[in-house]
Amino acid sequence: MSAPVLETENLVKVYGRGQSRFDALKGLTFEIHEGESVAIVGKSGSGKSTLMHLLALLDEPTSGVVAMDGRPVSQLKPAQVSALRNDTFGFVFQQFFLNANQTVLENVILPLKIAGVSASERKRRGMEVLEQLEMADKAKNKANDLSGGQKQRVCIARALINQPTVLFADEPTGNLDTATGEVVEDILFGLHRDRGITLVVVTHDDDLASRCDRRLLMQDGLIVVDDRGETAKAAGAGVGQASREGSRQVGGHGKHAAPAPLDGQPATGRDAGTGTETGEGQA
Amino acid sequence: MRNVDVVRTALGNTMRSKTRTFLTVIAIVIGAFTLTLTSGLGAGINKYVDSMVAGFGQTNQIYVMPGMDPSQQMPTNGEPQEYDPEEAAATGEFGMQMLTEDDIATIEGIDGITDVEPIVFVTADYLGTADGDQFVLQSLGFPSDAAGMEMEAGTTPDPQAMELTVPETWLSAFGTEDPNEVLGETVTIGLKDMAQQEQTVEAEIVGVSQQAISGVGGSPMPSSALNEELNDVQTSGLDVEQPKNYVQAVATVENLEANETAIKQALSDEGLMGLTLEDQLGVLTGIIDTVTWVLNGFALIALLAASFGIVNTLLMSVQERTREIGLMKALGMGRGKVFGLFSTEAVMLGVMGSVIGVGLGVLVGVIGNAALVNGPLSGVAGLSLYAVDPVSILLIVALILAIAFLAGTMPAARAAKKDPIEALRYE
Ligand SMILES: Nc1ncnc2c1ncn2[C@@H]1O[C@H](COP(=O)(O)OP(=O)(O)O)[C@@H](O)[C@H]1O
Ligand SMILES: [Mg+2]
Repeated sequence: MSAPVLETENLVKVYGRGQSRFDALKGLTFEIHEGESVAIVGKSGSGKSTLMHLLALLDEPTSGVVAMDGRPVSQLKPAQVSALRNDTFGFVFQQFFLNANQTVLENVILPLKIAGVSASERKRRGMEVLEQLEMADKAKNKANDLSGGQKQRVCIARALINQPTVLFADEPTGNLDTATGEVVEDILFGLHRDRGITLVVVTHDDDLASRCDRRLLMQDGLIVVDDRGETAKAAGAGVGQASREGSRQVGGHGKHAAPAPLDGQPATGRDAGTGTETGEGQA
Repeated sequence: MRNVDVVRTALGNTMRSKTRTFLTVIAIVIGAFTLTLTSGLGAGINKYVDSMVAGFGQTNQIYVMPGMDPSQQMPTNGEPQEYDPEEAAATGEFGMQMLTEDDIATIEGIDGITDVEPIVFVTADYLGTADGDQFVLQSLGFPSDAAGMEMEAGTTPDPQAMELTVPETWLSAFGTEDPNEVLGETVTIGLKDMAQQEQTVEAEIVGVSQQAISGVGGSPMPSSALNEELNDVQTSGLDVEQPKNYVQAVATVENLEANETAIKQALSDEGLMGLTLEDQLGVLTGIIDTVTWVLNGFALIALLAASFGIVNTLLMSVQERTREIGLMKALGMGRGKVFGLFSTEAVMLGVMGSVIGVGLGVLVGVIGNAALVNGPLSGVAGLSLYAVDPVSILLIVALILAIAFLAGTMPAARAAKKDPIEALRYE
């Protein structure tokens, strides 16, 4: 197996203090290898986003270590961390976070603008990546005038423009209808397959999770299942209900003694059904 | 982010909510406009004073007057004062101290002074033209002002000859509008002697003067000799010898620059006071500067108010763009650059406000100056009310940019502090 890109050791994140203290992550140790695709799954409030933010160096852990290419990031200066994010990571957020008043192209090239790339080079690379995502004809449109699926493509284009080694996506299909969601999934896995990009995806979508090499199931700030089921990977090649069932079974056959079922409810009902949203404020 | 991109992005951001930017800029424009106008006014008038100084040409003169002896000027608390007959003789009208012949001799004796010309105070009654018309002479100019006078026609009077100049405004007395026509005309000056007998003295008009803002050239001005003659007439008529007294004396000094302090000291040792032309005009420029600064103060208050407008606008902008800031930070934009972006936005508001404000100020100043100087104030020779001073304009722009930058620091720091996760977490 290839070298780990990201490693964590006893990762702890505590929000608040005293009465309102909340342990969002309770000591996680794992590695993510180069070229791997990892799905972080679990109920709402289980700490998925918190974990992703720590891995993506958007936040600092309360204790424990995040290491990038074997080097603890706590050793880096804030400016170096910013540069690292700008340069080696790509982000697809749960909400689109597009600047509505700017054009598609302007949105896509934002990371390059921040990096200080020249205007002509920005435009060239922006058009290149928009072409890959079949959005070149919309380059001059205002971001606001696009459909949801198109917006998500713009977000992916923005995430790819700096040719990242790791792509983080927080619920990339959460805002999309099933058909569009599948197109976005195909794009992500296509990139993963063709370019060897390391994918870290937070998702409620079982189908998306099942297409990943590996699934980390989170519950109350802990990884309760680390599942590299080969069957799931094989099944992940297919699309649809069959793979969904497959992943559920794989989840059930995990190596942990008391496995929790994957959060596999349909997208519309998943948060309302779990009741964890109301529990978020609890200490 | 490249600096050019920072500037371009900041400019683009100010254009996003145009009404808000417009209103903020208006406030800055008002401050910049006022400041440009008031400082230009100060510069213009001072320039005029400078040109007056240059007009005097001969600046090797010191005006000598009796020293200010506080014990003589102040009320005496009712205590009896020792009587000194000599001093009492040298007290002129209204209790003003005068120079005596002795004083003049003393001044002449001071090292470095080559010539002393005492100035006598003449009050004449009328000026009679060749046609026999008589006009009231409220005041006569001092011969010592001759060097600084702007001439419309003719020359300044020869100190040794019985000559005088009349102001341009007096041309109507001679029934003409052409200043050259009155040159060479002989006039009579009527005045009373000590016995209250009406006497006359004849003199020739050799020049027509323009009135300067200082008043020089605004009334008929006799030559030294004519002035002396008038004074003689004025003090004659009684059989007793009148002691001669002078308001002041003009001392010509060798190498004024080098000797100024020494001579002033020597004069003060003699109980006299010496003022150069610069000293006298210095008082004037001092007043102009004070007025200019008071006006500038109002403009600065306007700018202060405008700076709060900038703070407010940017705070709103930062608040509205929380998510955008979070996104930029998440995508690797450092704190420093975020700060830079927002303070550049503040500076952009300053640039717009100062360019428009200063531009308008210069325009209004130049046009207003031209309209006034060629219109209602055309009688005042060489007057300028407004001058474009590039240095002060640059200073004004720099000041406004500095104020804008300072106003922007608080909102910009707030933007730089935003936590990307916090900013991106919720819709
Ligand atoms: N800034 C915060 N302050 C306090 N609690 C937080 C904060 N961020 C997240 N949490 C809590 O941490 C828990 C995990 O949150 P999160 O990682 O967003 O969950 P998930 O993405 O799995 O839904 C939740 O209970 C949430 O309420
Ligand atoms: Mg989440």
